[in-house]
Amino acid sequence: MAPLIHVRDLTRDYRLIKKREGVAGGFVDLLRPRYRDLRAVDSVCFDIEAGEMVGYIGANGAGKSTTIKMLTGILTPTSGKVSVGGLVPWRDRLQYTRHIGVVFGQRTQLWWDLAVIESFRLLRKIYEVPENIYAEQMKVFDDLLGVGEFLHQPVRKLSLGQRMRCDLAAALLHRPRILFLDEPTIGLDVVAKESVRGFLREIRDLQGVTVILTTHDLGDIEQLCRRVIIIDKGEVHFDGELEDLRTRLGRRVRLTVDLREAVTADDLRKVTADLPVTWRDREGKNHVAEFRRAEVSGAEVIRQVVNDCQVSDLHLAEVDIEEIVRDIYRAAGKEKA
Amino acid sequence: MSEPTTEAVRADRLVPWGRSWTATLGLYASFVRLSFLKFLAYRLRYYTGVISYTIFISGHYYIYSALFRSGTPGPGGAVTIGGLTLPEMVTYVAVGWIGRSFYFNNISRQLSRMVVEGEIAMQLIKPFHLQTVMLSEAVGESCFRLMMFTLPITVVIVPLFHLLGPTDFALYPWTFLSFCLALVIYSQWNFLIGCLAFYLKNIQGVLRAQMVSMDFLTGVLIPFTLFPHWFQVVVQWLPFQGISYIPVTIFLGKRTGPELYQAIGLQFAWAIGLFILARLVFKFSVRRVIAQGG
Ligand SMILES: Nc1ncnc2c1ncn2[C@@H]1O[C@H](COP(=O)(O)OP(=O)(O)OP(=O)(O)O)[C@@H](O)[C@H]1O
Ligand SMILES: [Mg+2]
Repeated sequence: MAPLIHVRDLTRDYRLIKKREGVAGGFVDLLRPRYRDLRAVDSVCFDIEAGEMVGYIGANGAGKSTTIKMLTGILTPTSGKVSVGGLVPWRDRLQYTRHIGVVFGQRTQLWWDLAVIESFRLLRKIYEVPENIYAEQMKVFDDLLGVGEFLHQPVRKLSLGQRMRCDLAAALLHRPRILFLDEPTIGLDVVAKESVRGFLREIRDLQGVTVILTTHDLGDIEQLCRRVIIIDKGEVHFDGELEDLRTRLGRRVRLTVDLREAVTADDLRKVTADLPVTWRDREGKNHVAEFRRAEVSGAEVIRQVVNDCQVSDLHLAEVDIEEIVRDIYRAAGKEKA
Repeated sequence: MSEPTTEAVRADRLVPWGRSWTATLGLYASFVRLSFLKFLAYRLRYYTGVISYTIFISGHYYIYSALFRSGTPGPGGAVTIGGLTLPEMVTYVAVGWIGRSFYFNNISRQLSRMVVEGEIAMQLIKPFHLQTVMLSEAVGESCFRLMMFTLPITVVIVPLFHLLGPTDFALYPWTFLSFCLALVIYSQWNFLIGCLAFYLKNIQGVLRAQMVSMDFLTGVLIPFTLFPHWFQVVVQWLPFQGISYIPVTIFLGKRTGPELYQAIGLQFAWAIGLFILARLVFKFSVRRVIAQGG
């Protein structure tokens, strides 16, 4: 069986006007603008099976939203191929949008001046949701998201968290096969984030929807997605299981030491010369070392440091997923530079 | 035992789908209704509308009265300007503006704002035609305007300026039908202008220019007969006469028999032609849409 979502060499350029200098230049720009193409998404390939929940992450401006816009049929790519369940999103837009749900965290799809319930009624008509399914869905939304509380308020009077919960419900009312979420937890407090995550987990288990989600909060990814795709400057840098991401980079550990006297990093490098440890280039009393748990134990590193130096304090911590991802972003940045 | 249809169960396929005619009508009818309710909710903002329309029409009344007083009487003894007597002229202007209070809408501004602010993305993810949705909303708005502007203005203006209604009562429904077609032409033209936002960086100037030129080209501001001949020939070939000039001249009884059907037929043709053109232009423009921000 073919994958539900099939993306090959997806590329999108944005055309930017290159400004000339000065007032005269401004006039020339008006008459004969010069363009420069910015490649926002660059030959992206991936396949997603029905029922998967995939995290699509990357730094600001990496090209996440642009990808989502192409997958939802809003934007036409410069080149490349997308097929979702046999449809091409931007070509078969009317057919295709019937089967998807979309949330852009920064915008709302609800009718601003209407009471929330009116939006839902309208969506019911738009997607031709049968009465019994409508009732079931509304019950699920009320149980899991508590949307019942503000059904009769106009959308413009909702708080950000309330609006986001309504938007999620609106995107799922017609039981779409695929759900696209672009930063669904942006601007939410801890409690609201938890409620959104819990809801998405339930919906995935209950209704088997396929989800692609972008976020800057890796907590979302850790709690929801087994698979992540990391994109930077439009290119895919990692595509695999979250667990692989951790082990591929090794479970890294970071040791922070406070010394009584100032030393250089080189002094410490000599101290641990026979161990696979990297010290950051620093001078002074505070130093940081990193090593892989698989290669050397924390106890051994600490023993050597304590033996040879005047240590006042020690701190050992595992490098978390957030930092691993940050390193990938940074490495990608250097490659390009 | 028969297998369930493979189409429905295959996890890697999206099931084809379509909306029946009745469901489609029902859907767009809800947009008409909701738009009407939305305007009703904001009705306080529009109370002044009746007053400004009345002042506007009164202004015209006094200008034309002065013009006619200074004119020389024709062979029939009455002063005519552009083939209209003073009472006809006043009726022309008043009915034109009463009609405008009905068909007016802001689709061009709404659509261009949606495009510029990227809000259009939220419309493109829905399985409907934005163009038809906006037309339905315009119809809802006009229902509101009919109730809130058109009827009250008529009640105030008619006795105030002793307007001449046609004695042939069949002309009233024809005029109404003609103004309904005007609504379609006006909204589809506005939709097309709104589509320019896909291509232009700054559309504000275009919007303002078209607002002003529309009032000339539709004939609502000044009757075509007052313009030079070449202008009258040009407007014959434009859709705008179907927005005000045709319905008003129908009301004045200037078109009877086959001329009446011809005029209505012309409006129909423009309404359908512009609707199709707007659909094609929108479809083409969306393909090259530069979704802003986000
Ligand atoms: N409408 C546009 N016109 C020109 N350039 C654009 C446009 N939209 C996005 N870009 C550029 O394309 C690149 C990718 O943008 P995109 O919005 O896809 O990033 P993102 O990964 O969603 O970022 P963020 O995490 O900040 O939301 C950026 O460099 C951005 O400046
Ligand atoms: Mg984004």
